[in-house]
Amino acid sequence: MVSRVVTVVLAVGLFFSLLILAVGLADLRIPDDQQGYEPAQPIAFSHRLHAGELDIGCLFCHAGDEKSRYAGFPAASTCMYCHADVSATFGAVRAEAEAAEAEGRAVRRIVSTELETLYEALALDENMERDPAKTLTPIAWVKVHDLPDYTYFDHRAHASAGVTCAACHGPIETMERVRQEESLSMGWCVNCHRDGYQAEENGKSAYASVDCATCHF
Amino acid sequence: MSERKPKDYGKTRGVRGAGEVPAEPEGASPEEGRGVSRREFLAAAGFTLAGAVVAGCARAPVEKAIPYLVQPEHIVPGRAYHYASTCGGCASSCGVVVKNRDGRPIKVEGNAEHPLSRGGLCAVGQATVLGLYDSHRLASPLAGGRETTWAAVDRAVGERLAAIRAEGGAVRFLSGTEASPTARAEIERFLAGFASGRHVEYDTLSSAAILDAHERTHGARLLPRYHLDRSEVIVGVDADFLGTWISPVEYTAGYRAGRTLEGRPPRLSYHVQFESRMSLTGSNADVRYAVRPGDLGVVMDGLARRLAARAGVVVPGEGGGAEPFPAETLDRLAERLWRARGRSLVLCGSQEIQTQLRCNFVNHLLGNYGATLEVARPSFQRRGSDRALEELQRELNRGEVAALFVRDVDPVYDLPDGETWARAMKEVALTVSFAASVDETASVSAYVCPDHHYLEAWRDAEPAAGVFGLTQPALSPLGGTRAMIESLAVWRGEAKAAYDLIREHWEARVYPLAVPERTFRTFWERAVHDGYVEVATEAVAGGEFDMSAVRPGYEAPAAAEGAFALVLYPKVAIVDGHHASNPWLQELPDPVTKAVWDNYACLSPRAAAAQGLAEGDVVRVEAPGGTTAEFPVLVQPGQHDGVVAVALGYGRRETRRFAGIGPRWLEGRPTVEEGGVVGTRAAPFLAWENGTRRYLREGVKVVKTGKRHDLAITQGHHSLSVPPELATPGAETRPIVQETTLPAFVGNPAAGGHPHHNPAPGSREDLWPDDHKYPGHHWGIVVDLNACTGCSACVVSCQAENNLPVVGKDEVRRSREMHWLRIDRYYAGPEAAPTVVHQPMFCQHCDYAPCETVCPVLATVHSREGLSEQVYNRCVGTRFCEANCPYKVRRFNWFHYRRDDERENLVLNPDVVVRSRGVMEKCTFCVQRIQEAKIEAKRQGRAPEEGDIRTACQQSCPAGAIVFGDLNDPRSRVSRLAADPRRYDVLAELNLRPSVGYLRLVRNTA
Repeated sequence: MVSRVVTVVLAVGLFFSLLILAVGLADLRIPDDQQGYEPAQPIAFSHRLHAGELDIGCLFCHAGDEKSRYAGFPAASTCMYCHADVSATFGAVRAEAEAAEAEGRAVRRIVSTELETLYEALALDENMERDPAKTLTPIAWVKVHDLPDYTYFDHRAHASAGVTCAACHGPIETMERVRQEESLSMGWCVNCHRDGYQAEENGKSAYASVDCATCHF
Repeated sequence: MSERKPKDYGKTRGVRGAGEVPAEPEGASPEEGRGVSRREFLAAAGFTLAGAVVAGCARAPVEKAIPYLVQPEHIVPGRAYHYASTCGGCASSCGVVVKNRDGRPIKVEGNAEHPLSRGGLCAVGQATVLGLYDSHRLASPLAGGRETTWAAVDRAVGERLAAIRAEGGAVRFLSGTEASPTARAEIERFLAGFASGRHVEYDTLSSAAILDAHERTHGARLLPRYHLDRSEVIVGVDADFLGTWISPVEYTAGYRAGRTLEGRPPRLSYHVQFESRMSLTGSNADVRYAVRPGDLGVVMDGLARRLAARAGVVVPGEGGGAEPFPAETLDRLAERLWRARGRSLVLCGSQEIQTQLRCNFVNHLLGNYGATLEVARPSFQRRGSDRALEELQRELNRGEVAALFVRDVDPVYDLPDGETWARAMKEVALTVSFAASVDETASVSAYVCPDHHYLEAWRDAEPAAGVFGLTQPALSPLGGTRAMIESLAVWRGEAKAAYDLIREHWEARVYPLAVPERTFRTFWERAVHDGYVEVATEAVAGGEFDMSAVRPGYEAPAAAEGAFALVLYPKVAIVDGHHASNPWLQELPDPVTKAVWDNYACLSPRAAAAQGLAEGDVVRVEAPGGTTAEFPVLVQPGQHDGVVAVALGYGRRETRRFAGIGPRWLEGRPTVEEGGVVGTRAAPFLAWENGTRRYLREGVKVVKTGKRHDLAITQGHHSLSVPPELATPGAETRPIVQETTLPAFVGNPAAGGHPHHNPAPGSREDLWPDDHKYPGHHWGIVVDLNACTGCSACVVSCQAENNLPVVGKDEVRRSREMHWLRIDRYYAGPEAAPTVVHQPMFCQHCDYAPCETVCPVLATVHSREGLSEQVYNRCVGTRFCEANCPYKVRRFNWFHYRRDDERENLVLNPDVVVRSRGVMEKCTFCVQRIQEAKIEAKRQGRAPEEGDIRTACQQSCPAGAIVFGDLNDPRSRVSRLAADPRRYDVLAELNLRPSVGYLRLVRNTA
C-alpha cells in the first residue's frame, strides 16, 4: 500500500517534471535568437495602418536607410507632419461632431490615448503649442530587430544592393505590432551573402563578402 | 670613472630593449600559485557551465532606441560629420577636423589643408577628445571651493571689481601664451577699465630668451617662424623641435618635406644636433653630439666665430670656453652651413640670452633671415615673458596686486616657488581662476570660473602672422561652464556671447586684411568651414640686424667637480603637465625611454655604473640651495655623463584620480598609491637667472637611497631574442631595421639591403600552397622609416579610433599594455653615443600568417582582401596566436578593463566593438574605415578611390610616414612605394609575406 502511494507520488512528480522540462525545451533557443520577438511599444503604433492601409513608404519615417548605417527611428517631429492635424480616428472625430451637433455645443477636440503620449513627449498643450510648464521627454522605443554589439550591420550597403526592407523585416505592413519575422542569425545572413540575393528591381543577383570582417570588427 | 666595460649595441638593430632590465615573465595567470585543487576547480567549472547555459538561453536584453523629438536638419543618425576647427591642446594651434557621431565628438584628426600643421596632429592633440569627457571637469563655478551659480559669482566679482576700480587697485591677468586674438583684445578691454591693469603672459616651457634676443637684434620681441622645409642644413642646439619644442607638428611636417628621397638627386637635409640628453629630435639627427649643458653656449659661440671669420665680420671679445670636441668638428659644420647660406637653419632652445643672440647672429651671417626663418611675419606660438612674470611675482610678494586672474597656466604648480605663490595669492583681494578643473592654482583661488573645453566653444587663434584659426563648438557644453571672454564681458558690464565677440573682432580686424573677399558674411562662413584663413599682414619687424646687440665673450659656467648638471625637460606625451590627467597620455610610452606612468632621473650608463646605480634604484637629487626630490633611475644611453635629466609635468594633484585605474585583482598593484600622484614634481628645481627661467641646475648631487621603484618600460616586452650563448653563430640578432647612408643610396637605391630580405624574383621557395588570391583589393601599408620620427601620435590616434583600454602601470609592467601599434626604438653603436631608429610595429597582416594556422577555433582567419581578421566573438582565448606571432603585435584582454566612467565612455567609437575579457585583439588596418569607405563608395555607385580610406595612424602622422592603400592597384601610392628599391619586409626570412613593407632608413652621413 505504502509502496503504491510512493509509486504514484513519484510518477506524478516525474510527469510534472517532464512537463516542465518539455515546456522549457520547447522555448529553448540559441543565445540571442530573438525570432518571434514582439515587444509592446510605448506608443501602440500600427504598421498595418500606416505602412499597409495608408501605404506610407518605409523611407518616409526610416529616412536613414539609404544614407546611414541605421535606417533610424523617426523623430517625433516626423509624426507631427500628419498628427498635428490628425489627433484621433476618423470615426471618433465624426462621432464627436455628431454628438456636438445633437447637443448644440461646440465641437471638442478628440485626442486618442496613443497620440496623447506623443503630444506629451513634445510637451504640447491643448492648442498644440509648446507648453513651457511641461518637459520634453523623448520616446524610448523598444528595438525589435537588434543585432548583438559584435555585429556591424549597415543599411546603406543592403539598400544599395537592392535588398528590400521586407527581405529581412518580413511583411511589416501586415503587423499591428512589429514582430521579428526572421531569425537574424549568422547562418541566415551568410546564406544570402554566399548564395546571392535575387533583387526584384533589376533581376540581378547581388553577392556579398563572407569575410568575417564584413560584419565583425 | 668606472671599471665597467662600456656596452656596444653593435651594428644590427635586432634586439628590442637590448641591455635593458628583463621584463617580468609574461602572462602569469591570476590564479597561479593559489593552490586550487582539481576537485574544487571542476566543481566551480560545473557551476559556471550550468550558469552559462541558463544565462545564455535567455532572451537578449531589451534595448531602447531613443530618436530625436525634433530632428535637426541635415543630421542623419549613424553618419559621421566632420567639422574643421583649431586644436586647443597648446598654443601651437594646429588645424584639426573633429569627427562627430550622433552629436558627440569621438576623434580629433589633423586638417590636411592647414598651412602650419599640414594634416598631422600630435599625441596631445589626439588625446584632447578624451579630456572633453573628463568627469572631473567642473560643471559650475566655485566660490571658496564650494559650488555656486554664475549669477552669484558675477555679483561677488562685480562688487569686488567695483571696489578695486574705486580704490585704483592693480589688476593683473596672468595667462599662458594667449593664442586667441579676440581673447587678447577682450583682456585689454577688460583691463582698460582699471587704473592699473596689465596682461602678463608666461609659458610653462619658456622660450622667453628667443623673444628677448630678437628684441635686441631685430627691435621687436618676437618668435621667428621657422621653415624647416626650406633648410638643407639644420643645426639644433638643445632644441627638441620634433618632440616638444614650440610647435612640433609644424616643424615635423617641414622637416619631412626637406627630407625626401623621391627626387634625383634626393633632397635630404643634413641635421646635426647638439644636446645633453637624448631627445626625440636628437634620436633622429644624422649626427648627434652629447654635450655638457654648460658647453652648448660654447658650441654656439664656436659656430658664430667660425662663420664670422668666413663672412669677414669681427666678433668682439675673445673666444669662449674650451670646446668639448676637436676643432675640426665645428670647422666642418661651419663649412657646411656656409655652403648652404640662405638654405640652412640654426635652432637653439637655450634660455641664455647670450647664446640666443649668437644663434641670431649665426642665422644672420648665413643670410637665413627672410629665407628659412621669418621675422617679418613671425610666429605667435610663444609670447611669454619671464621678466614680466618676475615683475608680477615681486608685485605679489609686496602685496601690490588687488586682483589676479589666472588662465591656462598654473603658477602654483609650474613655478619653482609655487608655495610662495600660493601664499601670496591668498593675500590678494580677488583671485579668479579660469581652470576647467581644480588644479593647484585653482585650489587657492577665491573663485574658479571654469572655461569650456575647446571642443565646446567658439574660439579663435593666430598661431602665426596672417594665419588665423577658428574653433567651432562640436557639441553643447557638457557642464555649466562659461567662456572666459564671456565672463570678462559680463564683469565689464556688457554681457555678450563669445560667438558675437569673435565675429565682431574678425569683422573689425581680420576681414579688412582679406583682399578680394566680397562680404564679411562669405568670408566668415568660409573661415568657419575651413577652420582657418590665411591673410596678408604687414611686416612686424624690418629685419635689420643690430650687430651691437651681440656682446663679446661667452663664459661657459664651470662644472662643479663630481656634481651633475640637472636638466629639466618636457616629455613628448606629458609636455608641461597641462594634460597630465589624461590617461591616454600617461600610458603612452615615451618615444626614447619607452617608460610610462612615471618621471625618473635619466643617467648615462657610465654615470649610473660609477654610482653603483641600476634601473629602478631611487636616488635623491640634491640641488644647491636645499631643493631635493627623489626619483627612480633610468639608464639612458647617449646622454652626457655629467647630466641627470628629469621630466617636468609630473606630480600633479589632478593625477590622484588614477588611484583606481586598471584592473583590481589579487596581485594587482595600484598605479598610484592611495592619496598619491603620478610621478614627482620637478618644478622646484627650476631656476631664475638674468630674467629668464632656466631648465638647468649646475652642481647637483645624486645620492643613492637604497629604495627601489619599479618602472614600467615597454621596450623589452614580448622580446624574442635568443641569448647569445645559445644562438647559432651569426644569428644572435636579426636585422629588423635596415639602414644605409646617403652616398651609398645615391650609388645604389637598394643599398643596405640584406639578401634574405630582398630575394631575387623567382628564387623564393614555398612550402605553402599559393591559395590566398586577392581578386579585388589587397590592402597594405608601407612605412617610411626615413620619415618616421617616433613622435607616437599614431599610437594615441589608434587608441582613440579603436577603443583601446587604459590598463594602468602595474599591467604595463606585466607586459599587458593594449596598444595595437607600438613604436620600437633600436639602438646601434656604442652606448655612449648610439644611433637610434624608431620603427612603428603593428599587425603585418601576413599572407601566410602564423597566428591563423594555430587558432583551434578559427577565430583568426584571412580575408579575401588580405586582412588577417580577428573575430572576437569566436575567440576563446587560448593565446596560441600570440605565441606564434613573430612580430608580437597581438594583445590579450586579461580583464574586463574598467569602463565605469559613463561620461568617459562617450569617447568610444560606436563603429568598433569594445572587447571583453579573454579575447585576443590586434591591429585591423582600421577595417571599420575600410568598410565605411567601401559602402559609401558603393552607395555612390563607384569604386573606392585612393584617399577614401586613411587609417587612424596614417591620418595623424605629421611626417606622412605611414601610407595605406590597395596593393592590387598599380597606380596607388602604396603599391608604388612597395615597389621602391628601399622597401624591405621585416623578418622576410620567415617568408610570411607581410602586407606591411618598410622603407629603409637613409642617413645623411658619410
